[in-house]
Amino acid sequence: MIQSVLDLQHVTKRFGDTAAVDNVTFEVARGEIVALLGPSGCGKTTTLRMIAGFEQPDEGRIFISGVDVARKAPYERNVGLVFQDYALFPHMSVAQNIAFGMKNRGVPARDIAPRIARVLEQVRLPGIEGRRPSQLSGGQQQRVALARALVTRPDVMLLDEPLSNLDAKLRLELRHEIRAILATFDCTSIIVTHDQEEAMGLADRIVLMNKGRIEQVDTPVGLYQRPQTLFAADFIGHANWISGTLARRAAEAGVVETKVGGIAVAPGAVADGPVTLCIRPERLAIVAADAPADTRLAAVVERLDPVGADLRIWSRLGDGTLVQSLEKNVGRALPAPGVGVTLGFKVADCIVLPADGAAR
Amino acid sequence: MRRPSLSTALLWPALLVMVPLLLGPLLLLAHESLKPFVGGRIGGDESGALTLQNYAQIADPQYVRYFLDTFRVGLLATAFALVLGFPVAHFIVRRAGPTMRRLMVGGLVGTLFLSIIVRVYAIAMTFGPHGPLSDFSRLFGISASSPDGAELMVVLGLLNSTLPLVALTLIGTLQNINPRLEDAALSLGAPRWKTFFQITVAMSLPGILSAAIIAYAFCISNLVVPMLVGRGFIVFVSNLIYFRFSEVANFPSGAALSMVMMVISVALFYGLLSLVRSHWQEAGK
Repeated sequence: MIQSVLDLQHVTKRFGDTAAVDNVTFEVARGEIVALLGPSGCGKTTTLRMIAGFEQPDEGRIFISGVDVARKAPYERNVGLVFQDYALFPHMSVAQNIAFGMKNRGVPARDIAPRIARVLEQVRLPGIEGRRPSQLSGGQQQRVALARALVTRPDVMLLDEPLSNLDAKLRLELRHEIRAILATFDCTSIIVTHDQEEAMGLADRIVLMNKGRIEQVDTPVGLYQRPQTLFAADFIGHANWISGTLARRAAEAGVVETKVGGIAVAPGAVADGPVTLCIRPERLAIVAADAPADTRLAAVVERLDPVGADLRIWSRLGDGTLVQSLEKNVGRALPAPGVGVTLGFKVADCIVLPADGAAR
Repeated sequence: MRRPSLSTALLWPALLVMVPLLLGPLLLLAHESLKPFVGGRIGGDESGALTLQNYAQIADPQYVRYFLDTFRVGLLATAFALVLGFPVAHFIVRRAGPTMRRLMVGGLVGTLFLSIIVRVYAIAMTFGPHGPLSDFSRLFGISASSPDGAELMVVLGLLNSTLPLVALTLIGTLQNINPRLEDAALSLGAPRWKTFFQITVAMSLPGILSAAIIAYAFCISNLVVPMLVGRGFIVFVSNLIYFRFSEVANFPSGAALSMVMMVISVALFYGLLSLVRSHWQEAGK
């Protein structure tokens, strides 16, 4: 990390007895887009409100561009905010909305109009200065909200569930658009979302939160391929779970004894003892009984679900565990329900996680 | 042809009551105001020719003063109610916890249940010329026993009702303002006072005008407060009308005063209402 624009150190916020945010530490580099991802109540919104200055942390420090802002009012921080419902001022025109921040930040009056025109071009809504927010569509309001926050050139942009108020198709379109706009401004950004696709599509890195704590900080690909906790593996994408007991010496390759037999696993940091194995559906395949695969498990096909380009095949293992595998829907002959098959996967595709409750 | 709906049909009972009870007497009152007055008898002269002399009388500076007093004192009581009531409503909506909120709203509603006579006499006994806190008037640089002191008592008496009216009305208005708009203004660098005036107050303007109309209507039609604490120094048009009808039995003059007051009030409220409406349209509602 070359230079961190935003730096949270051991930030804790309690409401009554419960810690809404518990010892959260992460850094964001200049120009980076980081998503705070997690289920509702995980503390991501409280974290955002503390960065914005609407809440003050009980413990810890928040640095923006090297300055500790934890005790500063929102208007004393150079932070841009885009709200879930956009929060455009309904009694002002688009131009007045965008000018509001500039006037308060001391932009000279003669520069305001040209900067409004320019920022509206940058969000691809030129010439709508005179409109009222109520005359704009949801997507347009979203972009005006972005323009209003970006025009003052904030150190950090905070986006709270930026796409959740839009319909699915528009969401996908705007996701790319927001990325492009944030890139144009080279703006360090935090995006709060509960939608993993949104986080994966928008962010360079994801801070995954659960119950006020950070579960994992990683790139979108890393988070999916190398989850470090059961929660992370479960929250992102689909997974098959097989529990068992790991036995190996130190960090060497080992074997996990499960009800469906021993499963070989790669070297790793997880300690011996109860573990849960996670295998992504697309890494689990129906193979010929004698085909090369590191691990082979006997199963009986139970159901086939077509999901567009893929087919999701549900099979039951010997101990009754239901597992899913994804097959490309390319016209290959598929087993009918009730037929016995062999499921195979590689050692590398089997993620070892400490069982729930076990020490990390 | 659409058949009249049930909701239209249900209007009829109200119309049947309102027309004879309100419009009818009003027309009679208008008629009465045009009759010549002959001293010594009750009501206008039935046989005399209709005349405008009762109206001409009102143009006299003596009478104009009563109108000016009514509108001025009403304006004061309304303005104070707005200035004091807005922060109360704002506190209840934005800051108070559920218990505090219930207590405060209960208190405001409760005061409206208390008879205005009780409240006004309590004020007079406390702050009036003989009250223990009569020095209160000195804070405003006036003596409690002077005409200005009487005006202060009338304003306080009216405020006693207008403040809860205004605060309760504004609670509804403020509840409809998205608190995130205030957050947005703060994040755009506006200090709290600027956010308060440019966002919260600016967006409440239609509600503020509605509250003002309600409070003002209450004030200028008030009879009891100036009667009890005006001590003859502050006489509202309502008091004048009351004297005309009950003390000197000059019905035509009382009727003429009533008609003038009604026309001015209706014009005033129509003007204010159209202001509210144009503001809403401007806000793109």
